[in-house]
Amino acid sequence: MRVVIAEDNALLREGLVLLLGSAGHEVAGVAATGPEVLPLLLEQRPDVAVLDVRLPPGFRDEGLRAALDARRKLPGLPVLVLSQYVEETYAAELLGGGAHGVGYLLKDRVGRVDEFLEALERVATGGTALDPEVVTELMSRGRGGGPLDGLTPREEEVLRLMAEGRDNTTIAQALVITERSVHKHIGNVFAKLGLPPSDSGHRRVLAVLAYLRR
Amino acid sequence: MRRVPVREVLRGAARASFHLATGAGLSLVCYVMIGLMLLAATATACVIGAGMLPETVRVLRGLAGFERRRTAAWLGVPVPEKYLPLDQGSLLERVRSAATDPGTHRDLRWLAAQLVYGLTLCYAAMLLWPLGLLVDGVWCGLARRSAVLLPRLTDLADLQARISRLLLLPSPSARLSERVDELAATRAGAVAAHGAELRRIERDLHDGAQAHLVALSMRLGMARRAHERDPAAARSLLDAAQDQAEEALADLRHVVRGIHPPVLTDRGLVGAVRALAAGSGLEVSVVARQLADGPEDGARAPAAIEAAAYFVVAEGLTNAAKHSGAERAEVELRREEKLLRVRVRDEGCGGADESAGTGLLGVRRRVAALDGAVWVTSPPGGPTVVEVELPCVW
Repeated sequence: MRVVIAEDNALLREGLVLLLGSAGHEVAGVAATGPEVLPLLLEQRPDVAVLDVRLPPGFRDEGLRAALDARRKLPGLPVLVLSQYVEETYAAELLGGGAHGVGYLLKDRVGRVDEFLEALERVATGGTALDPEVVTELMSRGRGGGPLDGLTPREEEVLRLMAEGRDNTTIAQALVITERSVHKHIGNVFAKLGLPPSDSGHRRVLAVLAYLRR
Repeated sequence: MRRVPVREVLRGAARASFHLATGAGLSLVCYVMIGLMLLAATATACVIGAGMLPETVRVLRGLAGFERRRTAAWLGVPVPEKYLPLDQGSLLERVRSAATDPGTHRDLRWLAAQLVYGLTLCYAAMLLWPLGLLVDGVWCGLARRSAVLLPRLTDLADLQARISRLLLLPSPSARLSERVDELAATRAGAVAAHGAELRRIERDLHDGAQAHLVALSMRLGMARRAHERDPAAARSLLDAAQDQAEEALADLRHVVRGIHPPVLTDRGLVGAVRALAAGSGLEVSVVARQLADGPEDGARAPAAIEAAAYFVVAEGLTNAAKHSGAERAEVELRREEKLLRVRVRDEGCGGADESAGTGLLGVRRRVAALDGAVWVTSPPGGPTVVEVELPCVW
């Protein structure tokens, strides 16, 4: 995969380059400031862009804005946004144009190299990767007498992993159960929440997130 | 010139006359009060009756307070009062503060003057009435002109109120010293709050991130030792080390949010409050008046003010979502000349008990440290309104 990275901190930038290189990916370009990002993406057209939310010169949300701009100019460009902290509003903005090829993760997750690379590949192939912390925030809001309270602990875990954007195979791996039972749990969750059954992939993520956000 | 209807003229004259008449009544009370003061002074001079003085001064203050309220109501501007406390210390100290309080001297001057101008102005009004009825009766009734004499009664009442205000208003230096006391108290509060905040941050870092990093370093050291002879043990130690690193990061994020929420930097106050509203689980309308909706530096309040406003909204919305049973809430942020006003209102069940939780107390401390003010109204049945004023220069 060809990857473009935007990260202002030299340590983290070198770390990402090293990590992606060792995993067999090609780093097509590196940006250290906000204004560099969009031209670089337009020039390189990578398979996926990894962007830090905060970039110079303003150290605000330049990376996020660059991601949104890039997706407007290059529809379908997969972007994985990394941040030191997660904000649900930013997730909503990123997903506003569709969950197709969108990732939003805490920088901490890079440390879990295998999981990070899996998430990056998922985003690059049109999937979704949403940080567990955002999902936890969304889930905690749906408590208090709603249908969420009617889920079994296992179903809740399945819902959580679906909201993170995982597909049935990785959900089965994460929970150490068969794909068939994942399928059964998903059916139960959708029935209990009153959602129309949905195939796997980004449409399912959107349905789950739309449910949690309302 | 517009001709004022006769009925209005008469009503105004009646109101003014009532004010002047109560002033005259008060003059008579002042007469008695002067007698009382003389008695108290004599008793104090004879030492035995010294206890009478503070009590009499207290009555005098009550009387002056009545005139202050009456004057404030007539003029529509407050007449502040400033006295030394009379209920502290030994008898000697109380007698001394009663006798030396500039407030007592001011009240005595007013007492003597009120006796004279209260009665004089009332007599003038009594003369003006028959004369006014006669002249204005002819002037308005026959010549169809505006009344000339009866409206002068209002001027007399105004004069009475102005004299009272002038005599009863604390001297500028007294008012200034009061403001200095107030500022010293809030500044001490701010310094204490700042100190408490630093200690809280220090403790959070010490118990959280620092402890995790120490544990992380230990595990790495152990993994290094185990590396050669027991690779499986080394691997599980490395796993644990990574867990520790993640927990340290999570702790640091938590501490940073408590100091200054990063979203404020990114989005400005209005954007950050919108993010809070979106995450509250309630239907929240956010109204911003005279405030920039973005992170531009020029149009923003100081960081401490923005952070305080953010925590007020966060606390208000959390309470609304948790306790009030409301589904809707309103947040208003308003930039005024020298302050930022924050208002959070929910249509819930009301009856918020400030003593029950620490949330509103935290808001009060935080706001007081910035010399601001907090009002909470939450009658049973709702609505609950939390309103905060944060003074700041734009």
